[in-house]
Amino acid sequence: MNPHTPDSVVDFHDGLPGFETCRRYILVRSTACAPFTVLQGIDGEKPPAFVAIDPQLVQQGYAKALESLDLTRLDAREGDPLLWLSLVATQADGQATVNLRAPVVINPRSMRGIQLVSSDAAYALDHPLLAA
Amino acid sequence: MLVFTRKLDEGIVIGDGVEVRVLRLGRGTVRLGVIAARHVPIHRREIYDQIRSVNVRAASDAGAATELAARLRQRINE
Repeated sequence: MNPHTPDSVVDFHDGLPGFETCRRYILVRSTACAPFTVLQGIDGEKPPAFVAIDPQLVQQGYAKALESLDLTRLDAREGDPLLWLSLVATQADGQATVNLRAPVVINPRSMRGIQLVSSDAAYALDHPLLAA
Repeated sequence: MLVFTRKLDEGIVIGDGVEVRVLRLGRGTVRLGVIAARHVPIHRREIYDQIRSVNVRAASDAGAATELAARLRQRINE
């Protein structure tokens, strides 16, 4: 399907909640989909794929702090630019929502990724993508 | 499931480096302490489950995800 070289594979050591056995993902970007990115799993027979978007594009001033545990898991050094992605879900009524509370964070230098398992009520798990 | 009965200040050890200790007993609650290596993520069950169900709703396959991304791109450009 999508050709990928080993250095374009992001390693999610713990998978994503609900998809713990799929640990490797590639980021698929195209002009036809921008500003959305497809986070595509490559482990297992039926790997999951997610539509994702930079949370700052959805909510101005979006900022979430990372704990030192998160930085350790990302193998992040000071100055590493990190890639933030919020996963998009489609609700039963067709409305697209964005998970701002539990974003995926990727360190492009180490090619490690995590999803923040956060209970931070400041951001919604299902923020409407398009203002009503 | 392994089941243990523990008293205050007792604990269990899981694998190489994870220890769970009973710190306080209350009415209907128990306060636990977890000792683990820094890279081991530890979550409250209900928070993890909540995010899991949102992930499950967000997941599709590569083809469907690409289609949805293209469709959403059109909608936000309208």
